[in-house]
Amino acid sequence: MAQPPSGTPSGMILRRSVGVATATATSAGLAFAAIDYLGVVSVLAYAPGATAAFAILFGLLLVILIAGIFSELNGLYPTAAGIRLYLGRAVGNRTALSVTFTYMTTVVLVIAADAFLIGAAVRHVLHEPAALAYVWIAVLLGIALAANLRGVRLAGWMQTLVTYTVLAGTVVLSIIALFHVGGSFRHPFDLFGKGTFSGIQALAFALFLYAAFEWVTTTAEEARTPQVITRALFIAPFLIWLAATLFALAVTHLVPFSQLHHSTIPQLLMGKAALGTVGELWMLSLTVLTALNTFNGGFLVASRFIYAAAREGNLPRQFARLNMNAVPWLAVSTLAGVSALVAAVVFATGQWLLLVAVGAAIEAGIYAIGSLCLLILRRRETRERPFRLIAGRPLAAFGVVLFSLLFLATGFSDPRDAKRFSLAPIAVIAVLGLISVAYVRICVPRLQASAAARTAANRPRRRPQRPAAPPQEPIEPAAAEGGPGPAA
Amino acid sequence: MADWDELTEALADYTVTCNGNERLRKMQRDWSRNLHFVCADNELTFSMDVQRGEIIATPVGHVGVPDIVVTTDSEIFCDMFWGDLNPVQKYLRGEITVQGSQEDVMRLDAISAVIWPDV
Repeated sequence: MAQPPSGTPSGMILRRSVGVATATATSAGLAFAAIDYLGVVSVLAYAPGATAAFAILFGLLLVILIAGIFSELNGLYPTAAGIRLYLGRAVGNRTALSVTFTYMTTVVLVIAADAFLIGAAVRHVLHEPAALAYVWIAVLLGIALAANLRGVRLAGWMQTLVTYTVLAGTVVLSIIALFHVGGSFRHPFDLFGKGTFSGIQALAFALFLYAAFEWVTTTAEEARTPQVITRALFIAPFLIWLAATLFALAVTHLVPFSQLHHSTIPQLLMGKAALGTVGELWMLSLTVLTALNTFNGGFLVASRFIYAAAREGNLPRQFARLNMNAVPWLAVSTLAGVSALVAAVVFATGQWLLLVAVGAAIEAGIYAIGSLCLLILRRRETRERPFRLIAGRPLAAFGVVLFSLLFLATGFSDPRDAKRFSLAPIAVIAVLGLISVAYVRICVPRLQASAAARTAANRPRRRPQRPAAPPQEPIEPAAAEGGPGPAA
Repeated sequence: MADWDELTEALADYTVTCNGNERLRKMQRDWSRNLHFVCADNELTFSMDVQRGEIIATPVGHVGVPDIVVTTDSEIFCDMFWGDLNPVQKYLRGEITVQGSQEDVMRLDAISAVIWPDV
């Protein structure tokens, strides 16, 4: 089997490759979506007022640990298959597939949530009836679907520009808000003021603000050097931390929590409180811009995963069908359809905070699984890697325990009432997980058996049979040096 | 382990099959790339020049600056070019490694998916 040195598959420089600035923008852009503004409010629900800043800072410290874990895993397997391959090597292909199917549902949740939040924000600013929000959701998903089907991609520089604009725009308006006269900080440090577990739950929701930053590992194959991804994994969380912290402080400075708690537009409320209509339009523009990254990155990651799963024989092969733009049209269309359906359910039930809780719990679970992968692969893989986490084994073991705890903390949370617990998030995850496991155990073997039978029946082996090897004779050095041979 | 003669034969068949597939040529009409291949087991290297979806040449050695670099064993390359294996399966198991953008990796696999839909 091919086993080139880790992280340097060939050592060659590509014509088009990704540097640190673009990789960092990709990482931060995938993480900082419109749902993050709501995520900050969820943190505020458990860590009131300025205390949220501490929760977000503690979240950053944990994310640095995750960055180290994923950097080492990425160094071992620099591939777009990412967590699927880490898990496959650590615990086997079937488990890897079940987990990855569940993980991919977070992409659908984020796309649906972003469509919902952007629709709600546009409707609010245009003073339209509430029912029209879903029209905006459908329009946004329709545009994303059409662009993806036509093979339109955001250029790297455009994605970088969008990400840095969103982050800088949030930071600047938050600073303006902080200097606004009339506001006041509340609860400077009150991490357990909402109950014994509130500090832990605040931390778990703070972790959600950074969620998906690790997806940058899927671009490892186009990185200029393996260190590019490592640097992006360590730099991007700081950018998210800065924007989220300042936003949390600004929003708590100017807007009472009672207005924020059941609102889908906390960022618009903060913008309006800081700069009136200008501030509101400012935050609306940034919210719409986040859609470019979410819809571009999210659709791309998820639809290519579906395509690869279908090509591998793990999903019906219709999902691998390509249109004339070489786009897996059924995968993209299904993704858009399911996202529209989830957004409709959220729109009808008003359960957008449940999406945040489910997303936060799945992400914490994935971090626990990533830590477990490192723990196992540290024993199995002795190869050199471009990055090796210091004290990797104890830290990975710590990660397994801690992120499992945070998974449970968010899984049983009730974001609508911080003092209560709820089974809803864990129930949604359990259903998604059971569907994935049942599909992998029951449907995948059948699909693979029918694919094998079809190939055997329709397609004999094409490669000519190699002539029987003559009896072994000693090879003369001169003969071995001839022919096209290894190139430099 | 496959030698250069076997690879040449596989590449020749692959080139004829790809260039003769109208649907593929139309799908890849905007795809011009320089591909480098590395056989990890015997260190053979070769290139593939694709212009607007047409394979122009498959010279030995690495020619020009690559857009994509594919590394695997020579046997896997041979089977892949003959259409006897599914490259995605090998890729997802880490047996084929690729350097290049996700879009280009997808386009590369799309070739196999179009010319050998049963594999």
